[in-house]
Amino acid sequence: MIEQILKRLLISIPVLFGVLFLGFGLLILVPGDPAIVMAGPTATPEVVAAIRAEMGLDDPVLVQFGNYLGRVLQGDLGRSLISNKTVVSELAAAIGPTAELMFACLIWSVPLGIGLGTLAAVWRGSLVDRAIMAISVAGVSLPIFFICLMMIQYLGVEWRLLPFIGRGGPLWTIDGLRHIALPALSLGAIFIGPVARMTRSSVLEVLKLDHVRTARAKGLSETRVILRHGLRNALIPVVTLIGLQVGYLLGGAVVTESIFSFPGVGRLAVGAILSSDFPLAQGTILVLALGFILINMIVDILYVLLDPRVQA
Amino acid sequence: MCCSIRGCRHDGPDRSDVCACGDTRPPGQHRGVRPVSVADPEMLDAPEPVEAWWRRLLRDPSALLASLVLLIVVFCALAAPAISPHDPFASSRAIMQPPIWAEGGDWLHPLGTDGQGRDMLSRLFYGTRLTLIIGLVSVGIGGAFGSLMGLLAAFRPGLDPWVMRCVDVMLSFPAILLGLALVAVMGPGALPVIVALAVATVPDCARIARSVAVSVMQQDYIEAGRALGLSNFALFTRYLLRNCISSIMIFLSLRFGQIILIGAALSFLGLGARPPTAELGMMAAQGRDFLLFAPHIAIIPSVLIFVIVLAANVLGDALRDVLDPRLRS
Repeated sequence: MIEQILKRLLISIPVLFGVLFLGFGLLILVPGDPAIVMAGPTATPEVVAAIRAEMGLDDPVLVQFGNYLGRVLQGDLGRSLISNKTVVSELAAAIGPTAELMFACLIWSVPLGIGLGTLAAVWRGSLVDRAIMAISVAGVSLPIFFICLMMIQYLGVEWRLLPFIGRGGPLWTIDGLRHIALPALSLGAIFIGPVARMTRSSVLEVLKLDHVRTARAKGLSETRVILRHGLRNALIPVVTLIGLQVGYLLGGAVVTESIFSFPGVGRLAVGAILSSDFPLAQGTILVLALGFILINMIVDILYVLLDPRVQA
Repeated sequence: MCCSIRGCRHDGPDRSDVCACGDTRPPGQHRGVRPVSVADPEMLDAPEPVEAWWRRLLRDPSALLASLVLLIVVFCALAAPAISPHDPFASSRAIMQPPIWAEGGDWLHPLGTDGQGRDMLSRLFYGTRLTLIIGLVSVGIGGAFGSLMGLLAAFRPGLDPWVMRCVDVMLSFPAILLGLALVAVMGPGALPVIVALAVATVPDCARIARSVAVSVMQQDYIEAGRALGLSNFALFTRYLLRNCISSIMIFLSLRFGQIILIGAALSFLGLGARPPTAELGMMAAQGRDFLLFAPHIAIIPSVLIFVIVLAANVLGDALRDVLDPRLRS
């Protein structure tokens, strides 16, 4: 088992380098001279030259990459061109809200998706099954921004049930909960479909196995058979598949945060890119990529821990 | 084994045993091909010819409806310049005019006008065009590269670990991140979005192609082809590619919907297609400011995206059920 986990950690090393190189490449690849970009359009040639020297842009690319790695490891990602705050402090303020949003989305959508998927599998071929599957196909086909706009239009504006701009505070306060409700509902709405589909096929797969037949033959009640022997074993692949969908969720979070002005990393990234704030854009993309890698790694390790068969 | 057909017993203990390939000549002189003869009992038992896949597909009503919808959408996108009632970029004085079914709509602008008085219907035609181009080009390019990688990995097992490590690294960059990164570098536009979506399609497609190709490579006909002395190129294109292509196409058709959604989301955020061109996601974003007074500006393009993606997904599912039930997971 430890060997498996170590192997998994080893695989992530080249990925980590790839991410760092991507972050580094972002500034190097920007069309035109990064020094001019950093200095802004009104800078004098002397200022540009000074920035060039300061950034070490005259060094060979590999030396620059080495310096960049050193800075990142020290937690120095530069300063935002717009707010002049350090990128690290901007990111530190945004990571919490994004994590809150992800949590608030998963906490209701995953159990609901698993429940619906199990129902569909148990009543396979029935009207319930077809309805649930139709809803989940429709759910995967809906543009996330459309869901967000409808939430704002009806729950926010027309019926005035919930606020739809910004974040009210930490998740454990009433105001925080009220503000996160609509973004979390929107983001969760696109996640129910995939989870229900995965659960359904996974449960169907497990219900065919011998131990389920044995459980039935023992005379266990059908509910017990499905919950204890079916769903429990079916959840293992669902966990990994949820991990694989994190990228999908991330994309949804970027859109959701932007629409609801929710101060997370996704909104920060879009804002930075649209205002050509390169250091901040670089930092946010780096953090999003690292978060994605980290979650995938945790899911893979969880998989090893959950499924004894993988350890062999 | 005296010839390349599995189950050949010709060199067994009893040398007089007839080889499974039917050749009665001594071992070493076989051509390695099972001769087709009517007397062959296996040939007599051959199943009835299977109904053409597209007939089976079109018998499914939802698949039929989905193909119809996609055909209409593609036609409208192709014929946009010919069937658009107005110039999609020209503003008029009729600002935020509601569509025909709402109060105050008229036939001059059947779907109403947007915040700048541009005809919604014409913009929808052009917007669909760009949305479809972004989706098709990126799925096409990414799919081609991905399948090549996956098939090569299966065809040349020596390459496999290298290709799969590459794929692992690429999988670590979800489409939305690639999109953000490329737009940060190249500036907003359709091109970075296409590149990002294509790159994001490569690793998934490579994984699917590899898994299908690995099982194809174990089939007897590959061995038979080798025994016939086919060149690697012919073996790759005629035997491997041909037998994998349907599974790959199913995957790509299911992928197409997702790609359209991500592309539209990027455009919605202002990172994709730039005004004044029309793109469905961008049109929805423009309608966002008028949501209270003229909800149709945001709703109509969003619903169209939904319909296109839904049709693509339904058709992809149906194709999979018809062509390759093994892929069902």
